[in-house]
Amino acid sequence: MTDCPNAEVRDLLPDLLHDRLDEATRAMVEAHVDGCAECREELALLRGMSGVLRYAPQLDLAAISAAIPTYRAPMKRSWVGWRTAAAITLMVVGGSSVAVLRRNVSPIPDSVALPPSIVASESAAVRGDSTVAAPSPVTTGTPATVASPAVAPAPDRPAAEVTAPVRAGRELALSGGSINELSDRQLAMLLKEIESMDAVPTTDVENNAIAPIAPRRSTP
Amino acid sequence: MTDVAQGSDEHTDLDLITRWKAGDQRAATQLVERHADAIARFASSLGARGDAQEVVQDTFVRAFASLDSFRGESSLRTWLFTIARRLLLDRRRSERRRGDEVEVQDGDAITEYDALDAVVAEETKKRMHAAVARLSKTQREVFMLRVGEGLSYKEIAEVASTTEGAARVHYHNAMRAIKEFLDD
Repeated sequence: MTDCPNAEVRDLLPDLLHDRLDEATRAMVEAHVDGCAECREELALLRGMSGVLRYAPQLDLAAISAAIPTYRAPMKRSWVGWRTAAAITLMVVGGSSVAVLRRNVSPIPDSVALPPSIVASESAAVRGDSTVAAPSPVTTGTPATVASPAVAPAPDRPAAEVTAPVRAGRELALSGGSINELSDRQLAMLLKEIESMDAVPTTDVENNAIAPIAPRRSTP
Repeated sequence: MTDVAQGSDEHTDLDLITRWKAGDQRAATQLVERHADAIARFASSLGARGDAQEVVQDTFVRAFASLDSFRGESSLRTWLFTIARRLLLDRRRSERRRGDEVEVQDGDAITEYDALDAVVAEETKKRMHAAVARLSKTQREVFMLRVGEGLSYKEIAEVASTTEGAARVHYHNAMRAIKEFLDD
């Protein structure tokens, strides 16, 4: 059995067999087959093979049909539904965030170590300085839990200049005074002090630089 | 090229799908009657022997459960072939995992067709069966879809997860092998 050299027509023979050609193509292929013994022979072979291949096992079609479920349309999601869902999600996420934030905000301690400027004014008030309002008497007996800052005198500053704020700060810290007992002026100074603090990263990049790995020595 | 083979009935497949979605369960029965034998033939050519009924039923159940995803870009029959093929591959994988290897090897395929001998009595047809049985698994699948079902190379590529070019090469190699066997 030899092959026709017209590969295009040979390619279309199964389509001719199954009547899947448009009119023009069908006419062209049939015209070729009429004058080509190889293609007629191949078409006959395909027809025989198709008959052989069309054997189908016995099926219980009723059982197959009975197994098919009834149609269930997919749920439609309207824009209103999406909006409602988005709003609920936002409320839940937002509420959770607020709750978490509130939990993480640490309460102001009963006794705090004030910055030196505040401590100085406090100290002046204790000494009876008329320009600074005297703080209200300390009523709480809670022991100090926060240590006063260890302020060491700078080498170029006289010790007496630093001694007073340090002592006042220690007094305030040790007394267990509450921040609620500070006067308006003291609170204002405290806030001003906090605002003037620089936000400096606590880590020093240079100090944390990774040291280069020394080349491994091969032991003899 | 036109597909007149599946659209010649009173209702097209898409009409029947629409009717089934509207609650007409008889439309589903019509679709089963129209395509079940073709799926069974295809499943048999892929090695489904005693479980053809089960494979065909599973194919329809799965297809009807996901008919909303059928966009109609290919014919329904091509889509059903694709589902049946995936089902068979999944079955083979799970059978392999369980250890009961039942995959039909290329050289063993003659036994698959021996059961048909009672139906196919003539010597010529027997030889045709033997010729098909000697094809490689891929050649047999492509040849079956091209000659047995009349699918285009594009449709075969879709079903068999390959390219049109590869499908064409498999078909012509299969054709050459069959001719050589029949000439001997």
